This record gives sequence, C-alpha cells and structure tokens, in this order.
Amino acid sequence: MAAFTQSGCQVSSTSQRITVASAGSISSLDPAQVSTVHSLQLLSAIGDPLYSLNKDGSLQPRLAASEPTISADGRLVTIPLRTDVRFHDGTRFDAKAMAFSLRRFLRIGTLSYVVGDRIKAVEVEAPHVLRLELNRRSTSLEGLLTSINLTPLSPRAYAKHKDSFLHDNFVGTGPYRLTKFNEKQQRLEPFEQYWGDPPKNPGLDLISLSNSTALFGALRSGEVDVLLSASIDEDQRHALNQQAKRGDLHESVGPAMEIGYITLLSNTAPLSDQRLRQAIALSLDRDEVSERVSYGLRRPLRALIPPSLPGGGVAPWPKHNPKEAKTLLRQSGYCQGSQLEVPLTFRSNVPADKLLALTWQAQVQRDLADCMVLKLDGVESTTVYRQLGEGAFKAVILDWLGSYPDPEAYLNPLLSCSNAEGHVCLDGEAAISGSFWSAPGLQTALQDSDSVRGAPRVAVLNTIEELTVNGAAYIPVWLESPRSWSQRSVKPPQYNRSGFLRLAELERVSHQQEGN
Amino acid sequence: MGRARDLIRYSATRLGLAPLMLWLIATLVFLLLRVAPGDPVDAVLGSRAPAAAKAAMRARLGLDQSLLDQYLSYLNGLIHGDLGQALLNQEPVSKIIGNTLPASLELSVIALIAAAIIGLSIGFSGIARPEGAVDFSGRLYGLGTYALPPFWVAMMVQLIFAVSLGWFPVGGRFPPSLLPPEGSGFFLFDSIVSGNWPALVGSIRHLVLPAATLALLLSGTFTTALRLNLRRTLRGDYVEAARSRGLSERQVIVHHALPNALLPVLTIAGITVASLIGGALLIEVTFSWPGIALRLQEAINQRDYPVVQGIVVVIAALVVLVSVAVDLLVAALDPRVRY
Repeated sequence: MAAFTQSGCQVSSTSQRITVASAGSISSLDPAQVSTVHSLQLLSAIGDPLYSLNKDGSLQPRLAASEPTISADGRLVTIPLRTDVRFHDGTRFDAKAMAFSLRRFLRIGTLSYVVGDRIKAVEVEAPHVLRLELNRRSTSLEGLLTSINLTPLSPRAYAKHKDSFLHDNFVGTGPYRLTKFNEKQQRLEPFEQYWGDPPKNPGLDLISLSNSTALFGALRSGEVDVLLSASIDEDQRHALNQQAKRGDLHESVGPAMEIGYITLLSNTAPLSDQRLRQAIALSLDRDEVSERVSYGLRRPLRALIPPSLPGGGVAPWPKHNPKEAKTLLRQSGYCQGSQLEVPLTFRSNVPADKLLALTWQAQVQRDLADCMVLKLDGVESTTVYRQLGEGAFKAVILDWLGSYPDPEAYLNPLLSCSNAEGHVCLDGEAAISGSFWSAPGLQTALQDSDSVRGAPRVAVLNTIEELTVNGAAYIPVWLESPRSWSQRSVKPPQYNRSGFLRLAELERVSHQQEGN
Repeated sequence: MGRARDLIRYSATRLGLAPLMLWLIATLVFLLLRVAPGDPVDAVLGSRAPAAAKAAMRARLGLDQSLLDQYLSYLNGLIHGDLGQALLNQEPVSKIIGNTLPASLELSVIALIAAAIIGLSIGFSGIARPEGAVDFSGRLYGLGTYALPPFWVAMMVQLIFAVSLGWFPVGGRFPPSLLPPEGSGFFLFDSIVSGNWPALVGSIRHLVLPAATLALLLSGTFTTALRLNLRRTLRGDYVEAARSRGLSERQVIVHHALPNALLPVLTIAGITVASLIGGALLIEVTFSWPGIALRLQEAINQRDYPVVQGIVVVIAALVVLVSVAVDLLVAALDPRVRY
C-alpha cells in the first residue's frame, strides 16, 4: 500500500514540468470567444498580443515592431509588424495573417462589439504593415491593442474556421504550443521556433479542479506547483497568505484590475431619491468589510477606475459616515418611526458576496438600526445577470474586470447611455447594468474621455467620477488583485501589467536555492 | 415455454414504452429549461453585450424561433440521433457525453462492486447470531452510512487521505504529468490493454478516494437489504424443509436462503448503478472527477440547453435499459416471477 501511494507521488515530484491549477473548466480556446480569466490566462501563454503594457502604462511592442502611428485626425492607425514570427504550424506571421485574425474576430467574436465600435476596416498596407481605419478617434484603442483576444491565428490552420469557432485547438504564435486539450486539463510544450525568449520550463500542465477545497488541498499536499487565486475561498486565501508570510510558499500579486461594487436601482422608488442612495453609500464601512471578509486582501475602493489606470488613484466616493447617512435619511422622511427597507441581492454562488452582504447588514444594524435595514436575498449569478437589465434588483453586489486595461473598459459598461431622460437612462449600458442612472453631460464626458490624452483626459475622467459620486447609483467596495501561490521549489511567479501570470517564466529552483 | 413467451412479451412492452418515457423526459427538460430564469446568450456574451450582438447570437443559435419550432427541431434531431451542439462552444453534445460518460461509468461500477463486497459481507456476517453484537454492529453500520452527509464524508476523506497524509491525489482523474491512455475512455481498461502501467497506477490512485467514498456511502444499502431479506427467507417454509431434511445451517443459508435473499439485492444494485451515473454529483464535484454529473451541473449553470437536454436523455435511457436488464435477469434467475 505504502509503495503504491509513494510510487504515485514520485510521478509529480521528479518531473521538471510545472503543474498549474485553477478553478473552472475551459470550454473554448478560440480567441474570438473566450472571456473568462482562466481561459485568457491560458491564451496568454500560447498566443501573443500586438502590444503589452510597460510599468509606466506605455505600450511595449510584442508582435508589433514599434509603436502605432496615428494620423492627425486620429482615424488611421498604422502598425508595423515583426518579420521574424512564425505560427505553431510553421507558417509565417505577417500583416495578412493579422488582418485575417482581426476580421475574423470582428465577424464572429462574441466580444466583437468591444472592438467593432471603433474599428471600421482592417487593411494590409504592406507585407508587414497593418492599417486600422477607425470610426472615431479613440484613445482607449491603445489599451485594446494589448488585448490577448486579438492574438493572431494561423490562416492555414483556421481555413475551415474562418466563420466558426475552433474551440479545442489553437494555432498561434505564443511561447508554448498546445499539445493536449480538454476542458479540465491542458498540456503545453515550448514552441521551438518562438521569436522571443524561450520558456524557462520544459512544459506546463494546466489542470482545473472543481472546488476551492480541492485547489487548496492540492497545493498543500504538493500535488500542484502553482495555484491561481480565482475562486479560492477567502479563508483559504488567507491561510495561503499566512503560509507565504511564514516562508512555506511563495505568494505573487498582480495588478489590481477587478472592482467589486454595488449597483442601486435609481429609476424607481424609494431609491429614485438621490439622498437615499447617498445615505446608503455612506452606511458602508469598506475598511471593516475588507478586514472581516477578506482579511484585508481585497483593498477598500472608493473609485470606479482601478488605481493603476489613467484617472485612477483618486478616492472621490465618501468614507463611511453613519451620522451623515442618518441626516440624509431624516431629510427623506425616515428615522422618525419609519425604517428604509433595502433588499440587497448577492450572488449565492460567490462566497465573498454573501460575507460582504452579511457584514454590511450588521453595520447598518449597528449604526442605523432605527433608520434603515438591509434585507438579504441570494440569487444564483446567471439569474442575476439575466434580470439585471430588467430592473429586478434594488441593490445588488457585483464585480467587473475590464476587457482591456483602460478606464473606458470600466466606465462605459457602467455609465454609457444612448437614450436618457434627465437622470434616468432608458437604453444603454447603464440600463443593462441595472442602475438606469445617467446625468446631464455624462455621455458627452464619456465620449470626450476617449478622444483626449494625458492630463486633459485625466481631468475628464475625474469629472465623470465626481458626477457618478453625486448620482450614487454605484458604490465601489473593493479592489481585487490576482494572486498565485507556488511551492518553494518554483521561483516566485510574476504577473504582467494586464494581470496575467507569466507562465513562460515559471522555473524550478535547485534544492540548494530552495533551502535558502 | 409459456414463461419464456411471457418474459419476451414483458421485455418488448418495457422497451416499447421506453421511447414514450424518454419523450416525456425530453419534453419536461426542454420546458423546464425555458421557464428557468437565465439566458444562454448572457452566459456566452455576458449581460453587457449590446442588444444587437445578443440578437445576432440568438438568431445564430436558433433561440429567436418560437418555442414550438425550437421544440420540433429538437425532437427531430433527437429522433435522428442528433443531440445538437453545445451553445457555448458548438461542440457536439454526443462528443461531450462520449468524453464524460466513461468517467462516470468507471467510477460507478468500481464503487458499486466495492460497495457490494463490503455491504454484503457486513450484512451476511451477523446472520449466524441474529441480534448479537456483530448483527447489531451491521445494523448500526447500515444506518450510519445512510445518515452521513455525502459531501461531508467526501471532504473528510479528501482532507485526511489526500491533504494530510498525501497518500492519494486530491482530485482529478489522471496525473497531469502523464498522457492519458487513448481508447475507450475507460482509463483502467485502456491502460491494461495498452500495457501502460504508469497510467494504470495513476488511474487507480485517482480512483481510490472517490470510489471508496461512494462505496462507503452505498454499502449500507446492501447491508440493510441483505440482512432484512436473509432474515425473511430464513423464516420461509422451504428453509424449514431444508433444515428438516437434516442439512447443516451453513448449507441451508448458503444454498437455500442466500440465493433468494440476493434477488432483491440485485434489483437494488441495478437501480443504484443507474442512478449513480447521473447522481454522483457531490462526489464528482468534491473530487473534481470529470464525469457526466459534473458536466451536467456546469451546463445547467451556463444554461447550455442542448447539453443539459442531451445528458438528461442519455441518463434516462441508461436508467431504462439497466432497469429492464435487471428485471430480465431477476426473472431468469427466479422462477417464481410472473409477468
């Protein structure tokens, strides 16, 4: 028995390959289709973006040979491409291949609306020069060009899938080739003809385990080398964090790009009263929530734009202030024998949401018992997303990760409105996101923010945030950073600026280094 | 001769009713999925996709058709053996089932065999001294395994034998560092056939904890069923007759009482294996076992209608087939059965 169990253990411990575990299965590898963090992480290892972001937020060419050239009116973007890149099937990467991939994405991509709004046409200017014709000037296009969803595909390999998805294979240009794929397990081998630095490991095995306890246990038992944080329960995240502090594991933290927030329904009573929404916002003690729910691992957030992006780093939303909240509630006729009842919906399959809801409910009970009460209601996430745009939830806890690293990817999905009457959005993203809130001048400001750069852009972004603070239809709660933990036998993992773990840089250390 | 004819007629009736039952199940699942909140287009595109993009996808997936048209199209496919494609990635549902069903079958069959061995041994062991200490322990064991919450047992087994002791893997079906054997999808069988011993060891190591947990939970059913049936048969006239003929108690039990007591157990085993194929969800989730129940749960969360419909219909078909097969087997073994 002992020999049997030990012989099995030796399989993983003697291999130089690295096993990376995360939650959830990968249903598709087609860049025109993938949207989950898990799938995008894998795509970042087997594909390349045109650009990546430097530490200062500037563009660093990847498959592009240099920075894009933008015409005076901002509508023509010329991108020179590298000439030394090959696809995994041995064919050459050029402007035709890039145009093929972009056009395919625009035609069938499930996120094509993100791009299609900006890109009018994709042209091949020269064998290694690509030209994009835009519908309008777009500052955020640069962030969009770092998206791994726009990674090029081999036209030869995808000839039969020009207009359909290829979900179980991938032929791109990345540092790894995909050699085995199923929804729960993928095997990657280094691509011998890769144009950049070769991977530092002899190959990767990516596995999906279906629950947090299994992931936690797999790292604890040494069965996996690296664990990605998505879907790990807060207690287990904290335990791993403590182990890392003791030196038993390595912990790596990526740029905080995911925001947690609460949406308030602003077009129907009682929350159509702006003062009530402001009072609700003031009733939330983010610091306490952060500490109680996530042991401080999710940082309190008082803005919609993550701090690492232009316009981020400010905190315009007011701090916890129950006294001021009580004043506003009184002005609206509450606290004098009348209690404001707010139904708060949380996604029942997201443990952190429930803990946040319970903690906030207790805060309100402690600080504003005679004025306000939160009634909790757990609803499965698919149902929440379906009914959000129908105005089904007075207050609902949600999170958002922008499709690309730009403020527009955070503001537009929450605030953009194509048809507004006063402060009510009838059509557009603000309606879809469940707040139905808008403000005079807000849509213009959103458009302006995508047409200017530098300090003027930051000023416009700050104006947008201030308008939103006044409207109080959204309450930012916390900011989440991607985390990973690795065994001491693996060098500490590193994240790129887009929040993806650099899988090609994972490397085993010698026993001597491990001891140190 | 007459009995054989009755048996054939009964089998034909049962098999003839199977399509009707499958049609009812398929219709029920079709309707339930449509009235459940949640939209597959949202699951694919995200709730923030513009209405135009959603409409285009809805048209591409045929979800813009009337409910009746969708239903007829679904039935037409079903009749022709086409279970459709997953909404999420257009993978044929038959392929998804082909990839996940062997995992569930492998787990279920191994667990059932282990459960039968453990459960019947315990059930049988107390028969020599009814109401004695061994019999009492067997009863307690049977009740205990009923009462234990499956997810709790699974997590405890996982924590003790995988996380703390590190004897077995925490989850999954195969070591990530090895390539799974090609073939039927039954890894144990494929490993043996191909002579791939590392793969066989890896497969067994991954199978031990989920199969043992499932076996533990199921074994009580066998213990209780055998104990009760054995006690009933031991009171039968033919047993008394056997005793009066001077046979030893051992001969009476082994040759007369036990075969009769095992017949109802066979029915229980058949129903259990059929229900296990789709019903071992908690075990599959806890041990990340990539079986059909886990895939069904994912499909329900994603509102992937064709996958849910396809899996449910296939499971229902298997339940029907297994129950008919068990009935026929019992009828063949027990001459008292009349139809």
